[in-house]
Amino acid sequence: MKQVLLSLLLLGCAPQRLPVAISQLPLTPSLAHGEVLYMTFCHQCHPSGAAGLGPSLNDKPLPAFAIWFQVRQGLGAMPAFAPQTISDPDLDTLIEYVQWLHTIARQEGR
Amino acid sequence: MRRLVPILLLVVLGGLLFALQSCFTIAPSRGGGQTTFSGSRFLDPADIALPPGYRIEAIAQNLTFPVAVAFDQAGVPHVLEAGYSYGEVRTQPRLLRINPDGSTRLVAQGDNPPWNGVTFYQGNFFVAEGGTFEGGRILRISPDGNITALLSGLPSFGDHHTNGPVIGPDGWLYFGQGTATNSAVVGEDNADFGWLSRRPQFHDIPCRDVTLLGRNFESANPLTPDPADRVSTGAYSSFGRPSVPGQVVKGQLPCNGAVMRIRPEGSGLELVGWGFRNPFGLAFDPQGQLYVSDNAYDERGSRPVFGTGDVLWKVEPGSWYGWPDFHADRPLSNTNFFQGLNQPAPGLLLQTHPGAPPKPAALLGVHSSSNGFDFSRSSAFGLAGQAFVAQFGDMAPGVGKVLAPVGFKVVRVDPASGAVYDFAVNKGLEYGPASRLRSGGLERPTDARFDPSSQALYVVDFGVVTVGENPQPRQQTGVLWRINRENATTGLGALR
Repeated sequence: MKQVLLSLLLLGCAPQRLPVAISQLPLTPSLAHGEVLYMTFCHQCHPSGAAGLGPSLNDKPLPAFAIWFQVRQGLGAMPAFAPQTISDPDLDTLIEYVQWLHTIARQEGR
Repeated sequence: MRRLVPILLLVVLGGLLFALQSCFTIAPSRGGGQTTFSGSRFLDPADIALPPGYRIEAIAQNLTFPVAVAFDQAGVPHVLEAGYSYGEVRTQPRLLRINPDGSTRLVAQGDNPPWNGVTFYQGNFFVAEGGTFEGGRILRISPDGNITALLSGLPSFGDHHTNGPVIGPDGWLYFGQGTATNSAVVGEDNADFGWLSRRPQFHDIPCRDVTLLGRNFESANPLTPDPADRVSTGAYSSFGRPSVPGQVVKGQLPCNGAVMRIRPEGSGLELVGWGFRNPFGLAFDPQGQLYVSDNAYDERGSRPVFGTGDVLWKVEPGSWYGWPDFHADRPLSNTNFFQGLNQPAPGLLLQTHPGAPPKPAALLGVHSSSNGFDFSRSSAFGLAGQAFVAQFGDMAPGVGKVLAPVGFKVVRVDPASGAVYDFAVNKGLEYGPASRLRSGGLERPTDARFDPSSQALYVVDFGVVTVGENPQPRQQTGVLWRINRENATTGLGALR
């Protein structure tokens, strides 16, 4: 509950952009797989986690269940990604990667 | 308090649901060109962010619509000025030698713009003449400026033109030919591009026979003064000409939406691959594999398509890449992905498909206009085998709405994993061209090319193009940039 409220409070506090040097940061195997998933399903509308066709993700540190809900339901103009497209385990990995982007963006904003 | 928690959560989620459903519809478009610009452009490389260990400097400025760069046998850069910009602004296409002090010397000029791309091979320059007015051509230009047309009559009168060229490891000259339309149906949007009134009979030409479903699309008729005049237009048909189910449209060569090749003397036209939309950038990787950057669909015209990022393709000869019925490897019948809010679903046009499009090497930003690119070949520059793609940037709102500027930078692409990283990008809280950010950085990168030493990456920057009712390009705002490792020494001086 505290995490939910804190996330809501932090909405919009982190910058949109990631540092250019993010490409040089080492990735765990899980994050590397998450990056591949992100590039396949998310990057074209949320380039590098920033706004483009879709809104920015980097400045919205939503809890995992909210990201899960949005990906599966595809609210607004966003398409829905069913389990046949992104499996449950892959979605967990993707969410881990998106939340890692939040961490990097927040560090960039300090 | 405990009873309030689930209610509070429901309220928050409900609000989020409403906000997300409303957001894209009511939010205004905030494209990179949706800004104001006046006066002259100032340059400050310090306004551009690069990875640690790299630097950027301006080599030449005050260029008009520069689109490509190539190097002669001495490694001297030569810039191609297109002579044309969307917004139907026409100047003179030119090939310019860049002198060490940043001044230019005219090598050749033409009269059938746009000149879209250039390469150097065995003592001559080869140019893709987009030819929106007289048809596309491949030109050979000698160092003293003599122009010879090697190939003429390319179907280049529409939205997208003749692109490339690049010389392959086999010594053949490869080039791209863009499509006439957004998604194979001529409509009012093509009048906005300017060519429909010039060439009302023009339409897309397939490379192989295609059989149509016979779907027709109704639109107003901008070619007549009666605002109530409506027409019905089929796929691969001229404006106002409907199609019927089972209609076969014969394939031809040359054709639209294709990569083709000829021998350097101009003979032997062959199809390499088709089903592209606008294969603007062509490059061979260090292993001799051809890649193409393909500008994807816009949300405009009689058959708008939502949400399609530009594609980096690994090209296998003889393959079909999906246009007009697929984006990457997904069919446009998938309304979940490709139907915009309050827009008709694009649906399919072809009864059968020539094949299954492969998975792309990478997906780039929607409306990023990912154009000229090249592969690093040396440890001197680093990142060998990676592709560096110039992103011209969105032309919103005409191509479709965006919530924030897309492109206006150079990105690095790992062709093996599909990962895309910013490489040269304007500093600031947001992305966008320098004119929008009020900085001295990049405007609209349109080509990225390594010099023959493979130590420097040259970036051609088209200059300022704002977007109001129509695109508004600014002459003499183009720049040639150079990116090196920080400890590299070069022969060409930076501008002071």
